Amino acid sequence: MIAVEQLTKRHGALTILDQLSLTVQRGEVAAIIGPSGGGKSTFLRCINGLERIQGGRVTVGDLQLVPETDPRRDAALLQAVRKTVGFVFQQFNLFPHLDVLANLVEAPVQVNGEDRGSAEARGMQLLERVGMAHKARAYPKDLSGGQQQRVAIARTLTMRPDCILFDEPTSALDPVMAGEVLKVITDLARGHQTMIVVTHSMSFAREVSDHVHVFAGGKDVEHGPPAQIFGDPQHEITRAFLKDAGRD
Amino acid sequence: MHALLLARWIALAIALGLCSVAHARDTLADAKVRGALIWGADQEGGAPFIYPSEQDQETLVGFEVEMAEALSKHLGVPITFQQSQWDALPSMLEADKVDIVLNGYEWMPDRVAAMETSIPYYVYALQLMVLQDGPITGWAQLRAPKADGEKWRFGVLSGSAAEEYLADFPDSVDIIPYDGGTDAMREVETGKLDATLQDTPIANFYAKDFPKLRLADAPVAEGFYVVYARKGDRALIDGINAGIAAMYRDGTLERIYRRYAMWDAQQAKLADIIDAGKYYNFAPALADALPAPTDAAPAADDGAMLAETSDKSAGAKIAEYGALLAASAGMTVALSALSFPLAVALGMLVALGRLYGPGWLRLPLTGYVEFLRGTPLMLQLYFIFYFLPEVGIAIPAFPTAIIGLAINYSAYESEIYRAGLQAIPPGQLEAALSLGMSRPQAIRRIVVPQAFRIVIPPMVNDFIAMFKDTSVCSVVTLVELTKRFSVLSRNNVSDLVTLMVLTGLLYLAMSYPMSLLARRIERTLGHEGTP
Repeated sequence: MIAVEQLTKRHGALTILDQLSLTVQRGEVAAIIGPSGGGKSTFLRCINGLERIQGGRVTVGDLQLVPETDPRRDAALLQAVRKTVGFVFQQFNLFPHLDVLANLVEAPVQVNGEDRGSAEARGMQLLERVGMAHKARAYPKDLSGGQQQRVAIARTLTMRPDCILFDEPTSALDPVMAGEVLKVITDLARGHQTMIVVTHSMSFAREVSDHVHVFAGGKDVEHGPPAQIFGDPQHEITRAFLKDAGRD
Repeated sequence: MHALLLARWIALAIALGLCSVAHARDTLADAKVRGALIWGADQEGGAPFIYPSEQDQETLVGFEVEMAEALSKHLGVPITFQQSQWDALPSMLEADKVDIVLNGYEWMPDRVAAMETSIPYYVYALQLMVLQDGPITGWAQLRAPKADGEKWRFGVLSGSAAEEYLADFPDSVDIIPYDGGTDAMREVETGKLDATLQDTPIANFYAKDFPKLRLADAPVAEGFYVVYARKGDRALIDGINAGIAAMYRDGTLERIYRRYAMWDAQQAKLADIIDAGKYYNFAPALADALPAPTDAAPAADDGAMLAETSDKSAGAKIAEYGALLAASAGMTVALSALSFPLAVALGMLVALGRLYGPGWLRLPLTGYVEFLRGTPLMLQLYFIFYFLPEVGIAIPAFPTAIIGLAINYSAYESEIYRAGLQAIPPGQLEAALSLGMSRPQAIRRIVVPQAFRIVIPPMVNDFIAMFKDTSVCSVVTLVELTKRFSVLSRNNVSDLVTLMVLTGLLYLAMSYPMSLLARRIERTLGHEGTP
């Protein structure tokens, strides 16, 4: 489904990501954990073309992003990738000038040319699914962080993405709100939604993922099934990180 | 050559089909076909030349109005008046906006070189005006600075012969130029100026309005008022010369001048000129032959315009001024209401181009903004109105003002929008792109609507500023509120305060509703979600 091979990202002389590879098959959940500043978010942003890459390639279905991919010249390619791969941001990024339902309807109508009425009906179903139907006519500023993130997930689902990238979806939330968001994501995973999740919640990663990658300093220091990573970590960095994470 | 062609095409594009091409030179024949000879003058320059009548401020009177009427009979073509800034009249002529300049324009060598020149229709001199009980008694003491070493402060009409005359006193006189003659007189009365130097017709006409001033010493630097036409318009000038001569001989000129207290012994020299038959290029020889000016008191006639006094009540006057000013406020509103939407659209395009457009476009757009912000609006209007006709693009005054204001303001608007667009967090664009929107879609549907909410207050601010900036459009002959105020206040000196209050109230009446509307929009949008 998604194959990242030897991905390298540099800012000038500084290497942010160093030859990272990761593959998710249809229906699989990959989790990426690791210390802050390890390049986890940048990695996700490279997959849907929000960042240019300097080495390797990203394959999404039969689409490919390479270092030569130009945001202007290859706008159609990037658009096709982003229609296939959804993205959920740490800061939600709901559109503040639109109410909740309008946030959900915008892309299906503008991008796919869907009829507004049916887009709204489907939007309501998705809101129902994330428990936000009662706020369909509220504006984002009147919602709590957890509510905003649930709406953002529903918004991503409106485009029926093959895969969803979650970029630390609960880091900006308190534990109660994080819980309600993680529940929504867990439900999606149980429904066999393909996804790559960058998270600081070890229990969540352990529970939902099929395989776990540990990124540190722009490198993939260790990866494997959750039982192996959490039960018998091989690498020193993984052990130190899990020890720190356990204290939280 | 290529540059000129390019300039022509750019100008053509700007003109958007509003242009008419300049015509060949036999203006008199053309005017007869058209049915009108266009006469340029400035009513703000005021009495006794051309000014709003005391009885009916909408009617123009003055000795030049009466002369123009008489002259039109001799030329066999109606003469229509075109308002213009006095010192811009030669530019108006050059740009084909008027056909003749007849407005107290003195005979001057550089003007004679640039334009066709008629024989004189009036012999004027320069009159020193000072405070009744002031220290100045005559020219002798003006050769040296004041006792304290300061220079004498002289107010003069900008671009007039008086200004040129005073340039010969560089060590003892400071020249302060004014747009109208009466401004300088008022400043002498209030003590801000030491003296003013005025053409004799103005000094004599306004003496009654400025009782604290007196005419000091004999008039000096005698000169001639002449009619100017475009270079090459000999047939027109010959016709005007014949007309002036006939009007002099049959007593028409004397009758007109007496009505305005302008007939004096100097005018006898008109006979010398006319009888000597020196019609064209007369002056160098003649000026030398002329005797020194004599102190000739003006003789007022019985039916003189000078005797005209207003018997209107204060209420009737306010109503009349109010109606006139309100009508001109309509021009102010029309200019702003038409230019601002254009400025907004243009400014938005420029801002989007600079932020999201291709790399090669950014430098020219930055240049556009910096150039338009860095040069005065007045200069830009001058360029469109007076220069473009030189390359064959003649745009009428009203569209010129609309285009000029729109382009000038688009530079300011684009900077506001750029700031507004940049204030939207990058996450908004990224979220829209991540949903599969194209960049243009994301900008149009997500970024621009949010930026719009941010830029409303500065936009309204600019719109209100534009209401007031439209006053600059008087340089392209439009009479809007401020110009109307200037014309009225310079010709109705005693009603200055009334006029100021009325004009100020009208500007407020235009801008305050805009502020209220803006607050309403902000409130409405505030209910939705700005973060």
